[in-house]
Amino acid sequence: MKALLWLIASGFVWPAFAETANTSNTRLHWNGFASQAFVHTSDNRFFGDSDNGSFDFTEIGLNGSYLLSPRLRLAGQVLSRRAGDLYSGSPQVDYALLDATLFSSAQSTFGMYLGRIKNPIGLYNETRDVAHTREGIFLPQAIYFDKVRNLTVSSDGLHLYGRLYRDSGTWSLQGGIGYPIVDKNFEYAYMGQDWDGKIRSNDLAAFGRLLYEHNGGRWIYAFTGASVRTDFRASGADTVAFPAGPGLNSGNIDIDYSVFSAQFNGEKWQFTTEVAFQAARYRNISAAFEAQDFNSIGYYSQLSYNFTSRWQGFVRYEEFQLNHDDWNASNRARQNREESAFLANFGIDRSPIPAHAYYSKIWAFGGHWDVTPQWRVRAEYQIVEGTATLSPRENDMSQTDKHWNLFALSLSYHF
Amino acid sequence: MTQIRMIKISLVIVLMAFAPFIKAETVIVHPTLNDLHLTKTTLRAIFAMRIPQWPDGTPVNVFVLDDEHPLHMQFCKSLLGMFPYQLRRIWDQQAFSGTGVRPNRVSSEAEMRQRIANTPGAIGYISDAEIDATVTALGAPS
Repeated sequence: MKALLWLIASGFVWPAFAETANTSNTRLHWNGFASQAFVHTSDNRFFGDSDNGSFDFTEIGLNGSYLLSPRLRLAGQVLSRRAGDLYSGSPQVDYALLDATLFSSAQSTFGMYLGRIKNPIGLYNETRDVAHTREGIFLPQAIYFDKVRNLTVSSDGLHLYGRLYRDSGTWSLQGGIGYPIVDKNFEYAYMGQDWDGKIRSNDLAAFGRLLYEHNGGRWIYAFTGASVRTDFRASGADTVAFPAGPGLNSGNIDIDYSVFSAQFNGEKWQFTTEVAFQAARYRNISAAFEAQDFNSIGYYSQLSYNFTSRWQGFVRYEEFQLNHDDWNASNRARQNREESAFLANFGIDRSPIPAHAYYSKIWAFGGHWDVTPQWRVRAEYQIVEGTATLSPRENDMSQTDKHWNLFALSLSYHF
Repeated sequence: MTQIRMIKISLVIVLMAFAPFIKAETVIVHPTLNDLHLTKTTLRAIFAMRIPQWPDGTPVNVFVLDDEHPLHMQFCKSLLGMFPYQLRRIWDQQAFSGTGVRPNRVSSEAEMRQRIANTPGAIGYISDAEIDATVTALGAPS
């Protein structure tokens, strides 16, 4: 009798359970990726001891998305990224957000993201660490700097988004405010070294992107604007007055960033070009830093060809100039030589940083083969003049080689 | 000689004219979703995973075949006017930035039909020959 009751009960419960399992199947989504690269450079260090061949570029991520209700969704991703001396590979929360759809129809969708949000910058920033979403092994460093990746990659805050679905194309706008994530790489990239003091982000940063996909994305155009203020808190040896110390004060580094993007997507050919302008202003830290305010420009153009749906090749030219009023940095190099000569009077030995440390001109050639939809193999070769895309954390910038090249291979998996 | 060539050409024209009907595919939805008239613009937004809900409030559940499945390639080109790699890129960008999800993947047309018949709010596509009463076929997008 008891067994019969169990049987009847389970007869009711089991289909209900199966039903839940079936719907939760479409509610819960898991995705992951893993990528390992080999990097060899003729000179200079990029992602580890690359001049001897380096395997120090590994990306692993796992994410989940759970639909709480048709209009509420939770999503999060954990990322482990090892990149030479820049990133150790310790797992980080890449994003963790609540996505609330406020309004949705066949013509438009409006909503908001709350939490740690990936910043939409240009066409690639949001998924910059997922190898399958990049054209090559590395994103164009002239715009997507790996040497200061964390500053722009995600922020803790609130974004609003809206999309309009028109017959001619789709308009998407996303923008909001949040606290950026700063780390030591920022100090190396913007202040040349790791100082005793710390960089913080106590001020809200603003991000916004307008993107238009014409005719189902045959042509894509985007404009991105970002404004970030970071705080430098001088301490310890930083504050010792010149010439016994650097004589730094607490202050800010303000950065405004804008990116224009355009892309054509044909059946065989794809063309992408992006240009980024950056204005950096040093406030109160020291006269020497304030003299380093810069307006940089970075751009690239890339042509890709699909030989088959699984084989693709690309060629790209990219260029970065730290100061577009001092193209190729001859003035800056002269100032550096004068400064070194001046410091020598006080017995301070500092090698001048040469002009080529303030720009990069890169020709990149590469291709990939999708062994299966999950596995991708890549190869890439770059011919480089200049070292602006390298980090002072991995290189003594006064001793880098002006002309160098890079060869890389990678194996990536995603599901 | 010219006559044979003319016949060959007209044969090709006739075959080309019929080709879309021979291998035609149709968008299908769960039977409770009736009275739907989807435009190409709306279909693109749905298959790009950008519309979360149907007008009646049911969650939209999108089903697709593999990127390299001939029916998927044909569906993308003829009904969406897109290439499979474009959809894949949109899905990956959304799935790996937390802003959206990928569609549900099925491995055959039979599985497509069965999942759509059994999942409320489901939408997918199938060859005309495979349509039966368990799913609702939509007219060609306007």
